Amino acid sequence: MQELIQAAQAALTSKEAAFIIGYALTPDGKKTRPFIARTPDEAAKLVFNHTCAHNLAVYLTRIAKPKEGKMGIVAKGCDTRAIVALIQENKITRDQVYIIGVNCSGVTADVTLPFGADNLPSKCIMCQVQVPPVSDVLVGTAAPYDKPKDAVTERMQLLEAMNEHERFAFWASEFEKCIKCYACRQTCPMCYCEQCIVDKTVPRWIESSASLRGNFSWNMIRAFHLAGRCIGCGECERACPMDIPLMLLNRKMGMVAMQQFNYRHGVNPEEPTLVGSYNMQDNNEFFK
Amino acid sequence: MNFINDDIFMAEEKFEPKITCFVCNWCTYTGADLAGTSRLKQQTNARLIRVPCTGRIDPVFIIKAFESGADGVLVSGCHPADCHYNTGNYHARRRWIFFRELLKQVGIPESRLHFSWVSASEGKKWVDVVNGVIDTVRKEGPFEDYHKVNTEFAFPEPEEAVCS
Amino acid sequence: MQAMKQFITTDEKLRQLVHALSKNAWNIISAGKEGTNFIYINDGKDLVINADSKPTKLSAKEFFFPKTEPLFFYKKNHDGVDLLDPKDVLRKTVLFGVKPCDAAAVPVMGKVFNWDYKDEFFNRRVEQTVIIGMACSYSDVYCFCTSTGLSPESSKGSDVFLKPAQNSSYIAEAVTPKGEAFVVEFSSFFDAANENDVKLLLNSPKGPEKKFDANQVKQWLDGHFEDPLWNEVGETCLGCAQCAFTCPTCHCFDIVDESCGYNCGRRVKNWDGCQFGLFTKHASGHNPRGHQPERYRQRISHKFKYYQDKFGEILCTGCGRCTRGCPVGIDIAEIAQEINKRNSVLV
Repeated sequence: MQELIQAAQAALTSKEAAFIIGYALTPDGKKTRPFIARTPDEAAKLVFNHTCAHNLAVYLTRIAKPKEGKMGIVAKGCDTRAIVALIQENKITRDQVYIIGVNCSGVTADVTLPFGADNLPSKCIMCQVQVPPVSDVLVGTAAPYDKPKDAVTERMQLLEAMNEHERFAFWASEFEKCIKCYACRQTCPMCYCEQCIVDKTVPRWIESSASLRGNFSWNMIRAFHLAGRCIGCGECERACPMDIPLMLLNRKMGMVAMQQFNYRHGVNPEEPTLVGSYNMQDNNEFFK
Repeated sequence: MNFINDDIFMAEEKFEPKITCFVCNWCTYTGADLAGTSRLKQQTNARLIRVPCTGRIDPVFIIKAFESGADGVLVSGCHPADCHYNTGNYHARRRWIFFRELLKQVGIPESRLHFSWVSASEGKKWVDVVNGVIDTVRKEGPFEDYHKVNTEFAFPEPEEAVCS
Repeated sequence: MQAMKQFITTDEKLRQLVHALSKNAWNIISAGKEGTNFIYINDGKDLVINADSKPTKLSAKEFFFPKTEPLFFYKKNHDGVDLLDPKDVLRKTVLFGVKPCDAAAVPVMGKVFNWDYKDEFFNRRVEQTVIIGMACSYSDVYCFCTSTGLSPESSKGSDVFLKPAQNSSYIAEAVTPKGEAFVVEFSSFFDAANENDVKLLLNSPKGPEKKFDANQVKQWLDGHFEDPLWNEVGETCLGCAQCAFTCPTCHCFDIVDESCGYNCGRRVKNWDGCQFGLFTKHASGHNPRGHQPERYRQRISHKFKYYQDKFGEILCTGCGRCTRGCPVGIDIAEIAQEINKRNSVLV
């Protein structure tokens, strides 16, 4: 990954970027994890391989903005959608980020297993952006890979075929597992509120208990707050220790955005956000 | 005074749905007021909550209504282009397009959540809408799916208190 | 010291035991079929006794310290408030096939729940539960029980401890008086083991290799409250509580009131985690642990230093769940290893 290291070192040496958010190998050399390089020496540790599943754009709103220089970030094609979405939502501006785009050949769903068609996350199966559409410098090569059928799409169809009671029972059994660790919220690049509605106590809209009632309202509102905003990176589902299929809700919201508004969030930085704007011709059929 | 047998009394009691209505101050609330001053008759299952604008209705309000035992919810405000704040109802409408689909995906049927535009002069329409919603929900029966979610919060009778 | 009482039982007998227990209205908990979670069972054929299985997603702590537990219910009346205790759980419970790393956590947590104030909620759950631990032959890159003073055959925390033997039989040791009473009560499922039976024992599982020395970690922590290491390891932490909630020993909780109507409600105890920014935030707005590295330092220090200072034990059993599930791959054993390394440089 000499190309990546050189690009990062060049950006750090020229002070264009104050730091580079990237991936580094764990000491066992088998996995990678997020790593923030601040000096050219540290940048030598940067890598990119099939285990780089994390969407690093989440750090753009978690790390204090530097006084001088840009926030450098190593981004796959799918991650650039999150960056563009943050630009659309005025959380960052384009000139605050220095994007090192990496051509991606897919990542693993389970980092302990080898990369292959049976170890692909949904985002890679559905991927259309192996080459990042936005970047300041582009490195690496994108190799094609075999894409199996998408399990999320299949589960969506199963859910679609259920009647409402079955669907409710399905979600009750899923939400019951929720332990309110908020890993879904913390890993989401689009969840950047200073104070999350679930943490508000006066009034307490969403119960903080991991009881079924609190879990229902939390998971519904989390999905709603991402309606028309979710960029489909699937970090919430990957992070969920209880394996709740959160993407079944997020994907549905994405489908509504596509079908009713022909809109995909995080594609065009100039476009106004979907729920932040309106159109007089919006669907009015369900109003009496 | 216990001469009424509780069981018989309960068996004869007809299900009356609880409907929570979120209505905007400028149109629907005034329209509902007009229905009252015009002496129009309507069923009494609706509880109105007045908000400044439909744009003020956070979907969490609706979830809270279900959590508090509502069998159905009605959201109503000014007709498109009539909003007191110009665009509040347009923003709200866009939100509901998503929220309805989300609820459907979670298994909350459309018959539980209704939307309408009722202006300040449409007292008659308000009565029709409310009666229609109440009848629909009555036919659906109590919202047992969600009531089950709530049960652990019910104040326990001494012998029923549980701690599993 | 009296020799540990040993018994022999078989897979079939344990399944019959489940049947007998369920007839006597016991709650029976075992890892589910997929082995991913503990579930309630009442049929012997649902019992999963598998020494090779991966640790469940959540540890067994939820049966002693549930993720949300009502403390009392309240209702306003004309002249005040009615309070009502949640009814005691009277059903006796048996936890089957608990791994040593989960079982050992119960006495560790017991110390903090019985230190100045006796937590009756925790204690009564422990009292009514018989923990049947089982030797573990699973180990992956995340496991590190051998570094925390335990082993795959450690019976700490178990009331009865099973070790697999040949012909799908098990040698059962009654570790505590409670375990002994249990074996006596259900003696038809346990036979006294003789010397020949003990010879049937399978080879002890090797377990994960020792990754670090916990005492050295503490030594280093004693003098390094401020250290660049904290920024290195804590900077990428995203501040969820996956690690704390899946941990068998993490015991922090938050107490909140929740309404169930306009005049009544309940007070509940919920799990809380030190990686949340709100965990230490004061009402004034000041937050003594304002940044993630400070919160991460708290996690490590609480596990390896503070708990040891106060109770003489480390607050970690090496199950590896925090690392297995961390969305950004932070590895607690690796941090301890790094601390070991730095400590040896100092010496």
